[in-house]
Amino acid sequence: MNTTNIIEIKNLTKRYKNATETSVKGISFSIKRYEIFGLLGPNGAGKTTTISMLCGLFPPTSGTVLIEGRDISRELEPIKRIIGIVPQDIALYASLTAAENLSFYGHMYGLKGKHLKGKIALWLERFGLSQSANRLVSGFSNGMKRRVNLIAAILHQPKILFLDEPTVGVDVQSRNVIIGYLKELNKEGMTIIYTSHHMEEAENFCTHVSIIDHGEILMAGSPAALISAQPGSAKLENVFLQLTTSKLRD
Amino acid sequence: MISKLWASIRKEYLLLIRDKVGLSILFLMPMILIFVMTLIQDSAFKTLNEKGIPIVYVNNDKDSLGFMIEKGLRSNDLCTYYDSINGQPATLSSARQAVADGKFLVGIVVPQGATAAIRKNVSWLIDETVNTDSVGPETQIQVLDSVEITILIDPVTRKSFINSVISNLREFISEIKTKIMFETFSVEIAEKIPDKTPGPKNAYEKTQIIKYKEAYASKSERVIVPNAVQHNVPAWTIFAMFFIAIPLSGSIMKEKSEGSIFRLHTMPGSYLFLTSGKLILYVTVCLIQFLLMLSVGLYFLPMLGLPVLVLGNSFLGIILLTLSTALAASGYGLMVGTLASTEQQGAIMGSLSILLLSALGGIWVPTYIMPQAMRNISAFSPMNWSLDGYYALFLRGSGLRSIGLDAAKLLVFFVATLCIASLTYRIKRKI
Repeated sequence: MNTTNIIEIKNLTKRYKNATETSVKGISFSIKRYEIFGLLGPNGAGKTTTISMLCGLFPPTSGTVLIEGRDISRELEPIKRIIGIVPQDIALYASLTAAENLSFYGHMYGLKGKHLKGKIALWLERFGLSQSANRLVSGFSNGMKRRVNLIAAILHQPKILFLDEPTVGVDVQSRNVIIGYLKELNKEGMTIIYTSHHMEEAENFCTHVSIIDHGEILMAGSPAALISAQPGSAKLENVFLQLTTSKLRD
Repeated sequence: MISKLWASIRKEYLLLIRDKVGLSILFLMPMILIFVMTLIQDSAFKTLNEKGIPIVYVNNDKDSLGFMIEKGLRSNDLCTYYDSINGQPATLSSARQAVADGKFLVGIVVPQGATAAIRKNVSWLIDETVNTDSVGPETQIQVLDSVEITILIDPVTRKSFINSVISNLREFISEIKTKIMFETFSVEIAEKIPDKTPGPKNAYEKTQIIKYKEAYASKSERVIVPNAVQHNVPAWTIFAMFFIAIPLSGSIMKEKSEGSIFRLHTMPGSYLFLTSGKLILYVTVCLIQFLLMLSVGLYFLPMLGLPVLVLGNSFLGIILLTLSTALAASGYGLMVGTLASTEQQGAIMGSLSILLLSALGGIWVPTYIMPQAMRNISAFSPMNWSLDGYYALFLRGSGLRSIGLDAAKLLVFFVATLCIASLTYRIKRKI
């Protein structure tokens, strides 16, 4: 394994049971340490399936995934300790307060005591949620839930953070705060794998992007490289539309 | 590890305590069930035991047999004696109508001249024995006349119950008849053979060599009488304990629908470890339920004039059986929650299967009145194992050893449910 690569994927394939089509078709790519890697694609392109396999949520039909040199199919438990995930849907207990949710997830990652309390207080403060720490999540706005959802994934300072559409339905203010702190975390040494529909956000946020459609990687490189490689494109969104066509997706 | 477990238990506790509907299902529902079912069944018990069977008696004999039956019925706790209907002395026709209307369970009509007929028969027997020449054809016809006592029965009464009552009445009337015959026999003998030394006093009583003593075969030093409380408190406590399958599976399903299960799957630890917090909390809930239901039987039901719950002799047995039942119930809830794919599916699967298991297990209707085929099936219900165990402890006064098998079956059931849950989880993840 290349020491600069934190994730290496070879011929990764996923075909769901009873599915007529293969969702991910033998894709191969690697992600460098400290990178902000964007996996971009339209609906049904295979982004979430790929991310789910990288997190060990379900096994691939074939292919290998190495994270920090460990094969995910054989050494999932140690890998789980170094990753954090922000799922597309809010993954919080609605009947618990923000602090209670974070305390539970923190404990599950092995944090405890004052150290955990301190971290919870710090992140709630950073994301402007200190005043709402003891309110039930069920009463939160979507933006507030997204912020708590993100904190739950970073409390244990994972080496790799998976973000599946982290800013969906979030107002501009919340999005700027989230992206700002994610950049900070990246500077502190966290590798970020990110999926989004939001091309402008991806262009500004990612250091490397792969455009995926119909389970295949169409193009990969830095946003600037992709824009310059695609004639007539001034923005990443143009590249994206040229590659994936403007046809509506389900 | 301990810290993770504690956090998991705390999380489950907070979720449960904030779920008012779930809490009411866990604690209020079984308490109401115990109160209602015990009061209903106790009232039925009272009809038969304390207040007694309402019997209307028509004494047309007005002689020894009629009076002795009347005396016997009046002094018997099993029945409530009536000889008038709507303020009028009961007659055969009014008694028949009243029993048919359901005002009385049983009616007894002793015909006119019944005692005289018995005496006449005895006299004939003696005459035949002492002086066979004097017996003519007319007397022989008289002997063939029988005394017909009519027993009227409410047609809606259960056959097994009526059989038992009729059998007791027949035995009782037969005893009186024998007594009258014995007395007549003594008097007639004294008249026919005056030289004979007078027979012993209380001759009839002295012939009663065989006596019966009925006692419940309980190993307890205290007499534990089966009653509505002794059945309903353990039965509905078991039902309540198994009913936690609904909130427990609901909690698993909620994690799926709220998406938190997604995050839990990406966290270190096995599925069983991640769910162990649920198991521990719900087992604790079961134990609290048990204590609460026990206190209902010990303190609250007696306040309503119901019998106090008798716990038997083995507290160790109670602890073991309750813990085994709690584990079996929690394991079952975990299994249902893992098998179901939606909250609705979990709720339906949980509630229907528990109703079925409880019906089969003898919670609603005791297994001994079920047909043999159903009794064979009921032997596979974990609720039946538990109920059997509590019967052994509470009714038979048995000890730890006698509930060992029931507890072992419940523990095996618990392990089996965990294995099924774990296997299902693995299969479901292989999408």
